[in-house]
Amino acid sequence: MSQRAAHALAETTVVDTDVHITVPEETIATYLEEPYRSSITDSPHPMFPSSSWDQRMGGKIDDYFSTFTGPEDVREFQADFEIEYPIINTFEPLGKFSQPDLAMSLMRAYNDLLLDKFLDDYDFLGLAAVATQRPREAAEEIERIGDNDQIVGLYLGTSGEYPPLGDPSNDPIYRAAEDHDLPIVFHGNGEEFMFDFPLHNKGFNNYFEVQSLGHPWQQMATMASVIGEGVPAKFPDLNFVFLEAGIGWVPYMMHRMNKIYRMRRSEVPLLEQSPEEYIRDQFYIGSQPLGEPNRSEDMKRIIETLGADMLMFATDYPHWDFDHLEELDKYLQHYFTETERQQILYETPAEAFGLSI
Amino acid sequence: MSEHTVATVGELNDGDRKLVEVEGREIALFRTDGEFRAYTNWCIHQGGPACEGSVTGTSDAEFDREELETELQWCKEGEVLNCPWHGWEYDIPTGECLSKEGAKLPAHPVRVEDEEVVVSL
Ligand code: FES
Repeated sequence: MSQRAAHALAETTVVDTDVHITVPEETIATYLEEPYRSSITDSPHPMFPSSSWDQRMGGKIDDYFSTFTGPEDVREFQADFEIEYPIINTFEPLGKFSQPDLAMSLMRAYNDLLLDKFLDDYDFLGLAAVATQRPREAAEEIERIGDNDQIVGLYLGTSGEYPPLGDPSNDPIYRAAEDHDLPIVFHGNGEEFMFDFPLHNKGFNNYFEVQSLGHPWQQMATMASVIGEGVPAKFPDLNFVFLEAGIGWVPYMMHRMNKIYRMRRSEVPLLEQSPEEYIRDQFYIGSQPLGEPNRSEDMKRIIETLGADMLMFATDYPHWDFDHLEELDKYLQHYFTETERQQILYETPAEAFGLSI
Repeated sequence: MSEHTVATVGELNDGDRKLVEVEGREIALFRTDGEFRAYTNWCIHQGGPACEGSVTGTSDAEFDREELETELQWCKEGEVLNCPWHGWEYDIPTGECLSKEGAKLPAHPVRVEDEEVVVSL
């Protein structure tokens, strides 16, 4: 690893809310039952659909993530980046699998792998994978693994999940999450953009366009669906975390949904307060990939709008668009108090994930 | 405070309203459940003519966590005023805005005297 930055790092506890472990297909195969195990190892037809965008920019940057596979890699990352508490997840967005039975099997396999390779013998914190193709079965999986102290949240992709994630058919998942005091963590991604917006994915001519829109569109769609279906009102003790779309979209959605709520209140009568109030009470936002305004005061204002009790730090390591702590910390150190800084780096994620650290 | 006779009692049946101009201000008189109420015709959202909007009911919902079922009910029939500009809802009996907590239509005291409806501004 060679990303150690030359500047002084924050001397404070840091929770990183988004660290992906890469799971090679052959590895997950060993955690699957037949027929799926040999469908991965023996079949000439690839089972993992992909949009085929090149994330290495044609080879201009190294691919860190395909080798970031084991607990020692996480340890090395912690030391290099001075991250005391990385919250790890198995990344693979499970909504893209059209075979429900396969999606359910993969969900259990990723969780078995997470426990077996990362949590059982180490003190890491992790997010359990949830596939939504069969919500009641997903709720059973939450029952199975939800009491493990090192599992601090439930990881749901926001690309390809259908129907949209607020749909009442997903309520068994939210109820099980609330019963186990686990936040729902929504994670967008660029590669599987084609499953939500297939025509756009095909129409854009470069990955610049796809990466600019993939994550925020997915997260906006998820936030609108979850608020519009009243999920936070139905499950008032449940927290929702949004990762990997940056933060600038949140004030926009919060204010826009307030406006539309006031026009269409009778359409969403489960909501007893404005969308902004639900977002401020129950939603948390990961910082990465932090936008890069040309004037730094613009970012200050966006951070202020979210507030230190909503914003959390995330690297997204080892993906190519990861953020070093410095990216967020330069604003925190310059514009915010030490108390606010500690909230964002440590206390807010501790609250969102119920961490006793 | 000035007092103005704006209608006779017999002029309005339940569910009716009458718009009048008093001291250059548009005032709407509503009759619901036999009671008279007067509001300024001015929506706190963007100043639209709230009192000219349709009068309907609205929906309410209840969630059963055990069954995971949401039940929608139609309620307050005849008591909900919808601003014609963007649909903000007001509760006619109280003037409270249902779309934004704490907001209200500007209200004026009304009394009935000798079969006449008197509004104070
Ligand atoms: S002005 Fe009344 S709803 Fe907008």
